[in-house]
Amino acid sequence: MGTANKIFNICKLFGNLTVQGSVKTVPLKPFSIVTRSISTSPPLKDLMEFFDQKDKWGGIEVKTGRAWNKEEMRLKSNTDLHKLWYILLKERNMLLTMEQDAKDQVRLFPNPERLDKVEISMENLEAVVRERNKAYHQLETGETGERPGKVTKNAFGLNYYYKMSEYPLPKHMNKKWQQKYRFFKHDKDNEAFLLKYREKLYLNKKRQKARNFNHVIGLLNRFPNMDIAALKQQYPDVDLEKAKRSRKYGGHFVPK
Amino acid sequence: MSTRWYPIYQKTGPQLRVFLPNFWMKLIRTTEKQPKNIVQFSCSMQMTQFDIKNYLEKIYNVKTVDIRTRIALGKTRKDPGNGYVIKEDDAKYAYVTLPKGEEFQFPDLYPDENKDKEDYEKSLEQTKQGYKDYLEKNKGRPGMPGWFTI
Repeated sequence: MGTANKIFNICKLFGNLTVQGSVKTVPLKPFSIVTRSISTSPPLKDLMEFFDQKDKWGGIEVKTGRAWNKEEMRLKSNTDLHKLWYILLKERNMLLTMEQDAKDQVRLFPNPERLDKVEISMENLEAVVRERNKAYHQLETGETGERPGKVTKNAFGLNYYYKMSEYPLPKHMNKKWQQKYRFFKHDKDNEAFLLKYREKLYLNKKRQKARNFNHVIGLLNRFPNMDIAALKQQYPDVDLEKAKRSRKYGGHFVPK
Repeated sequence: MSTRWYPIYQKTGPQLRVFLPNFWMKLIRTTEKQPKNIVQFSCSMQMTQFDIKNYLEKIYNVKTVDIRTRIALGKTRKDPGNGYVIKEDDAKYAYVTLPKGEEFQFPDLYPDENKDKEDYEKSLEQTKQGYKDYLEKNKGRPGMPGWFTI
């Protein structure tokens, strides 16, 4: 009963689908989330759309709201988001034009954070669309539909993320691909390089450890009543007992 | 596929469409003197002439006759302190010709030339008045630092 109810609710969300069979129809509560449709002014559809509204020319301050966040955009339909994308795109072009002209004319571009707000909105919108895309692909194909990739070793033997792509030719025939992507091959020079590279990493790690150890001793000397638990949490690799046994621990005085 | 990743195009396959284009275009003042129906844009480096045509027609409803693009090399200069060479980014410029009979003039974006000056003078006046008030307030206690109050 519970699951059937849920499914029915979901169906209701997707549109007015009729549910057949022995499923009991339960009256739905009116939607608690009231979504406001995007309010738009009639588009100018002109080159003047590259400029701000006339009353804002030469102003010192232009007041604007905040960026769109993901939660708001999740409530919107795909068509609404598609429309919103073009609104944002135009807004960004307008702001870029105004900013460029202000720069050229050595003038003040009022409220440059408007550009950031538009950028943030666009990023959020793309993220939401991507979410939907993923969900759709999961449902249809069982895969995310994202660009596949894997961690491989480059020519020097260092790990990197290789983004996979579709090619009209198979690997062994694709000379361009072979020239562009060179993967790890065992060889004397590589071996020598990796040995030195790893040594460097190892020494860095070792020095970091020693530095932390000495730093903890210094902290203990300066603040004898310190919170030991917090210290342990921040420097988990330092052996406190060992630090206290060190000759650097304690002040320069004769113990009683 | 994600919104920015497309499958390879093969014959008889569906046409690849851009649903969320992220090209940008800036309308800028023409650097050289141009006929009245030529508009200069700075645009994304990836845009082709066809892209620009479609972009203006579909999004801005601006018909175009001819589009020419060029890529301007970014200027190089020496870092004043360290002496190494810094190169500014390259930029793509598009010269768009509008149909016969249409004109575009770059608007005067800073209509009241004197307004800035007035604002500046106003703030200067305010600062002067504030300093006068401060002097007046501290008349009776010379040598006392400004932050000290009772």
